[in-house]
Amino acid sequence: MSQLSAVYRAPDVELKEFQIDASKQHYNTTNGATTGPSAYVLQAGQIDVDKPSEGRKNAQGEFTYLSKLRMHLTGLQDDLNEYLTQRMEQAKNKKLKQADEARIKAEIENLLDGGDDEDDEQ
Amino acid sequence: MVNLNGIPPKNGRQYYLGLGLEGSANKLGVGIIKHPVLPRHDNSDLSHECDAEILANIRDTYITPPGEGFLPRDTARHHRNWAVRLVRRALDEAKIDGPADIDVICFTKGPGMGAPLHSVVVVARTLSLLWDVPLVGVNHCVGHIEMGREITKAENPVVLYVSGGNTQAIAYSENRYRIFGETLDIAIGNCLDRFARTLKIPNEPSPGYNIEQLAKQCKNKERLVELPYTVKGMDLSMSGILGYVESLAADLFSHNTRNKLLFDPETKEQIVTVEDICYSLQENLFAMLVEITERAMAHVNSNQVLIVGGVGCNVRLQEMMAQMCHERSNGQVHATDERFCIDNGVMIAQAGLLQYRMGGAVKDLSETVVTQKFRTDEVYVAWRE
Repeated sequence: MSQLSAVYRAPDVELKEFQIDASKQHYNTTNGATTGPSAYVLQAGQIDVDKPSEGRKNAQGEFTYLSKLRMHLTGLQDDLNEYLTQRMEQAKNKKLKQADEARIKAEIENLLDGGDDEDDEQ
Repeated sequence: MVNLNGIPPKNGRQYYLGLGLEGSANKLGVGIIKHPVLPRHDNSDLSHECDAEILANIRDTYITPPGEGFLPRDTARHHRNWAVRLVRRALDEAKIDGPADIDVICFTKGPGMGAPLHSVVVVARTLSLLWDVPLVGVNHCVGHIEMGREITKAENPVVLYVSGGNTQAIAYSENRYRIFGETLDIAIGNCLDRFARTLKIPNEPSPGYNIEQLAKQCKNKERLVELPYTVKGMDLSMSGILGYVESLAADLFSHNTRNKLLFDPETKEQIVTVEDICYSLQENLFAMLVEITERAMAHVNSNQVLIVGGVGCNVRLQEMMAQMCHERSNGQVHATDERFCIDNGVMIAQAGLLQYRMGGAVKDLSETVVTQKFRTDEVYVAWRE
């Protein structure tokens, strides 16, 4: 059985590899952690009836080749989604940090170079 | 005159088999249809008499809790997770053992919601590659029209296409379905669905159906609640009506006795119920539709109307349209039932098969890109004179 893997490349990050560990439960279910219904719909009281179909077992009681493939892919998709969400959070924090730093810098400059002219003369 | 038998069916058979996949909104439909090869199609204009046999019409709808609409992400998830099961069910019902026997796989190319459309087209492409079957991309609106024509056998009617995503008055002219009048902002089904959300009525089986049932229970049919009537020439606008009717509902629920329309100014008693508002809303919106349809009929000198699209299931709309048509040189209204009015896979298969028979199969997978905006008149209707 061929082992699935994924490789992620970006200008600011070195190669990131994703492998499947078939012994972990994470890779042995078709119901992914990141591919469930949206939070707002669950909060409104939705009962999820649209889950992917479960893996199928053959006469010997083992999962079929395609079912195993689907379950491994579901786990791999979860890994990828979590990694990309992390990167998005980092990018967001970086942006916020930069906006914060720019604001502090502008305030300091204002103090040093005399923002007094803008104050009301009472 | 047109030759519909230019491209023969597979394996020297005397019939075509088409598989249609529909998923532009919250309904996922898989349909399988059979067209016999008929000599009368060699040189005629009879694309509405295909003797189509429906071998399977499977549909699953993504339903949200009351008060919520459906957003692309969850709708696409529903389509992705159900597609294979529905296709398998359709093949079983049609008793097709070898799917490679299918002549063409038809999918909705647009218009509609991006993510759900994309989920369905990925399934279509995969099946096409798996079974080595050609693909055809179909315009959703044209699918509705062709199914309506095939079921009702209407000869060149003015088509009123009304659904949650589209509201258009269409007439056929020189190989295109031309749009004579349409909504300037939201679709009528969208207006009814969003009002259903403010009322928090269930979305099962569909919000529009539940509003229709509430309207039927109205006890004050002689006294309409006055609503804005916004027909603009050949077009109509509904966002203003929606805004107003939502504010009425808000006043009703918050018991705002200062609203003289809803509460008696002296006794402060409630004089208008939710059923009354539903009834008046329907009467108002449907009257607007009847007006723009009549205007289109006057333009093309027709006395036949074909109503297609989900809102076409509404019995009151069919009644009002029939009344207008009857007064107009004894015309007729044609409508289909909920199996074909509401989005389904069979309508895509029907239009797709006609397109395929006229040589419209996709030559390269790059032509199968879906699009959210796809105007009805962009399609070249090769199968009609």
